[in-house]
Amino acid sequence: MTETMKKILTILILFCTGYIGFAQVEKGSVLIKNGTVLTVTKGTLENTDVLIKDGKISQIGKNISAPSGVSTIDATGRFVMPGIIDAHSHLGIDGINEGTNAITPEVWTGDALNPFQVGIYRALAGGVTASHAMHGSANSIGGQCETIKHRYGTYDPEVLKMEGAPRTIKFALGENPTGGGRRKNLQPQSRMGVEFVIRKAFSEGKEYMDKWDAYNKAKNTKGFRGAPPAYSLRLETMADILKGNIIIHCHAYRADEINMLLQVCKEFGVKKLVFQHTNEGFKVAPELAAFGAGASVFADWWAYKLEVYFSTPYNAAILVRNGVVTTINSDSGDFIRHLYHQAAKTQKYGGLNDDEALSLITINSAKQLGIDSRVGSIEVGKDGDIAIFKNHPLSIYGVPMTTIVDGVVRFDREKDPADKRLMADPRETIDVTVFVSDSGHENCMQGTEDMSDFLFGIKN
Amino acid sequence: MKRTLNRLTIGFIGLLLCAPMLIWSQAQDEKELAPVTRTYAITNVNIVQAPGKKIDMGTVVIKNGIITGVGKGIPIPPEAVVIKADSMYVYAGFIDGLSRAGVPRPKEESSRGDRTNMDPGNPTPEAAGVTPNVDVRTLLKPDDKSVEELRNLGFTVAQVVPYGNLLPGQAAVISLGGGTADQMVIVKNSAFYSELSTARGVYPSTTMGVMAKWRDLYRNASLTKSYEAMYASNRSGLERPVADPILEAFYPVIDQKQTVLFKAEKVLDVHRVYTLKNDLGFPLMLADVKEGWPVISKIKAANTKVFLSLDLPEEKKEEKKDDKKDDKKAEKPKTAADIEKEALEKRKAESIALYVGQASDFQKGGVAFGFSSLSAKAKEIQASIRRMIAAGLSEDAALAALTTTPASFLGLSDRMGTVENGKAANLVISDKSYFDEKAKVRYVFVDGVYYKMDVREAKKSDGKVDIAGSWAYTAETPNGSNTGTMVIKGSAGNFSGTITSSMGNSTADLKSISLDGDNLTVTYDVTMGSNSFPIEFTVVVAGDSFEGSMTAGRFGSFPVTGTKNPKN
Repeated sequence: MTETMKKILTILILFCTGYIGFAQVEKGSVLIKNGTVLTVTKGTLENTDVLIKDGKISQIGKNISAPSGVSTIDATGRFVMPGIIDAHSHLGIDGINEGTNAITPEVWTGDALNPFQVGIYRALAGGVTASHAMHGSANSIGGQCETIKHRYGTYDPEVLKMEGAPRTIKFALGENPTGGGRRKNLQPQSRMGVEFVIRKAFSEGKEYMDKWDAYNKAKNTKGFRGAPPAYSLRLETMADILKGNIIIHCHAYRADEINMLLQVCKEFGVKKLVFQHTNEGFKVAPELAAFGAGASVFADWWAYKLEVYFSTPYNAAILVRNGVVTTINSDSGDFIRHLYHQAAKTQKYGGLNDDEALSLITINSAKQLGIDSRVGSIEVGKDGDIAIFKNHPLSIYGVPMTTIVDGVVRFDREKDPADKRLMADPRETIDVTVFVSDSGHENCMQGTEDMSDFLFGIKN
Repeated sequence: MKRTLNRLTIGFIGLLLCAPMLIWSQAQDEKELAPVTRTYAITNVNIVQAPGKKIDMGTVVIKNGIITGVGKGIPIPPEAVVIKADSMYVYAGFIDGLSRAGVPRPKEESSRGDRTNMDPGNPTPEAAGVTPNVDVRTLLKPDDKSVEELRNLGFTVAQVVPYGNLLPGQAAVISLGGGTADQMVIVKNSAFYSELSTARGVYPSTTMGVMAKWRDLYRNASLTKSYEAMYASNRSGLERPVADPILEAFYPVIDQKQTVLFKAEKVLDVHRVYTLKNDLGFPLMLADVKEGWPVISKIKAANTKVFLSLDLPEEKKEEKKDDKKDDKKAEKPKTAADIEKEALEKRKAESIALYVGQASDFQKGGVAFGFSSLSAKAKEIQASIRRMIAAGLSEDAALAALTTTPASFLGLSDRMGTVENGKAANLVISDKSYFDEKAKVRYVFVDGVYYKMDVREAKKSDGKVDIAGSWAYTAETPNGSNTGTMVIKGSAGNFSGTITSSMGNSTADLKSISLDGDNLTVTYDVTMGSNSFPIEFTVVVAGDSFEGSMTAGRFGSFPVTGTKNPKN
């Protein structure tokens, strides 16, 4: 019996027993033995065991024995770190931009999750256990985002959602929203326009909130008769931001516009704010720290458009040294597979220590997403989200070997089948990578066989 | 006894003489005289009254559109047209859960509205596809080819919906017969139809946009509805509410009096539709489900009425291998690319099997289901049902999905779904068991109106059908006539050719040309911008002319005629 057949059979058996039901998150138990445990928040523990029970880290220490029925992973000589968290990704969603209007806070990527994207598995292969599935940056106020856990294998999009994670929303400044505005000949077409659009949305949200508060108060008085205010999911979401129920994650590069949004948020009393990309964050690091805003950056990626020219690989280190909660993100299906390399670059550029560098892709990401009480470090009581590396994750030789989410092994380099798709398109055109023969032939003249006569005056 | 027999015999002979004329008259214009009688007797027929309930060699009598006799030894009324259905099979007419039979596809421009100077973030409801107040009854065309196509397969009733995007409008259950739109309608406003699709380019343009728009409209409608109720109960001191036809269309749904009929092909569509249902609490019916096997338990737990799609992915055709090539291949060792390709082909075949096995999985999971033809090609439907049966669906379950279950889902059980006294005379008669590979539908009754199928046995090519040459064709599409020239060269087994079209200025190569008797099937691809879609001509050749249909992927199927250009 082939592997695929077995898989299908297993799936069928699972259906028959009704295992795949309503948003039931699978929780597992596993004992990780004798590894070098990089807790990130509580230092490094040599030759230490980590026990995960029913999806939660239940014990960290030496000589822990596996409870009956709990499997053991031998991590001798390996490095055990908290599952990596990507604070900026577009993985696992169908459709990224509802860019038709300048503001669309009512839409939500959580409505369009796609658990079948094999990129989720690839992220697991990079030790990433959770990511921030963000709306795009086409409009000034984009949609709400979803924090997902990489529970690859589920057919239910609800299961991807990290239950209890706070709501977040995408804002965008600069060239992306203004470019869209210019193309459509609508607002915003300039940085001034972006500021206006955001201020207007906040003002209308405030007005909406006041109207509804007044109506709800009046409605409870005896004998009340009157019309409710018009309902708007868009303005209701703006009101939720003003109430502090949603964390803003704002796409921004330039220092001037970062300052602008800090000012606007101060005026409207909005406190939960993280800047994404933030390439000029190093210029306004003290201001960011004073506000309490986070910054999520690339290690050394810039110059892909005009507003991203003024950049430095020291950005993350400067932000960290100024006390800004800083992360390194991927924003890419490729970078997400080696975020540990991206984090390691801050050791060359800025000399961050191991814990500081690892924080950029673990506990700090968790803080920016409001999930740091649950994930981001190896501590008793936290979720059993773990990445086990061969060699130190910040070493160029670091290789993720096993990735565990809620105590369930979701990636194992030793058992990595060729076809990891959950659904295969029955109408796909099968297109195979063309392999160049490795039999030692010279290929530099391939395709010229018929021309040998012409070229060399010889017959084949 | 003898006298009765004599009388019957005389009547029978008389009727035999009349029958061909009656059939002939059916084929003529509506202006023709009404049928002499509306009484029919189908004799010597295997009656499948309901799934698992069969009467061998009995008689079915129908009168004025109603079944009046079912069984053995039933007296045949003297005025009856007798249909000698010796050893044929009669079933209750099939019921289609979701279709656009009788609803012509609107022209692209008119369906989307004028978009010039439109703010894409704030489009008109028509441009956005938010038209829940559109009633499909206003769009019905009884003589649309799609009605006949579906009826020829044995379907007599269908739930039909308007074209559109997220909220196309009100569904209706219609009879696949009848001279006027009003005569066709059995149940008006049978459901509130929705899809997770968008108009693209205007708000909402994404799945998440559709979900947000749904919530926004629904909650708005709930509020306006309660305010209207407050106003109606005592108008004093209250501002007059302003009626909004779009929000009003939601009211019966909010009252749980109307079901939302959601097209949900993919497993993720099903999940997303449930997300909306759970957020808002409307009654739900799922249709055109193609990937339902991972969500059987969810559908079962929610007790949702579900229609599975009759569209199946194409089975992999066995490649005709050249013997010589085979020998060569055997010598060569497999390359890494070969191995990868084989694995992918295998996975694809396994995936196809899952789609074909969906109905069987639902049966095993104990979930009742009907079928919907919305995205299926009419000529593949019968074969698709047989493929489902070959994959494990029982014939009884297949019949239930075509008759009793949809009748019950659509609230029609008192009127149709079985062959019983008092039920509407919706019947399908096939020469063999409907699920037999060679079965052909011979007669269909819709509300007692008799349709005889033109059963055309594919003749062996006797060399008289000569397709080589240049053909001028005309296809009638919703966007007007499409004309062009098709040139076929070569001889049987070795045809090649090209085709031009007035709707594009390029010449396309014909991908396949197959001639079976006088049935000619030709396929080619049309490229528009960066998209390419397949076209299929299925025509019957008679001398220097042909007639049939042209199927253009999701754009539908259109009548086509052609004549051969004289040789120079």
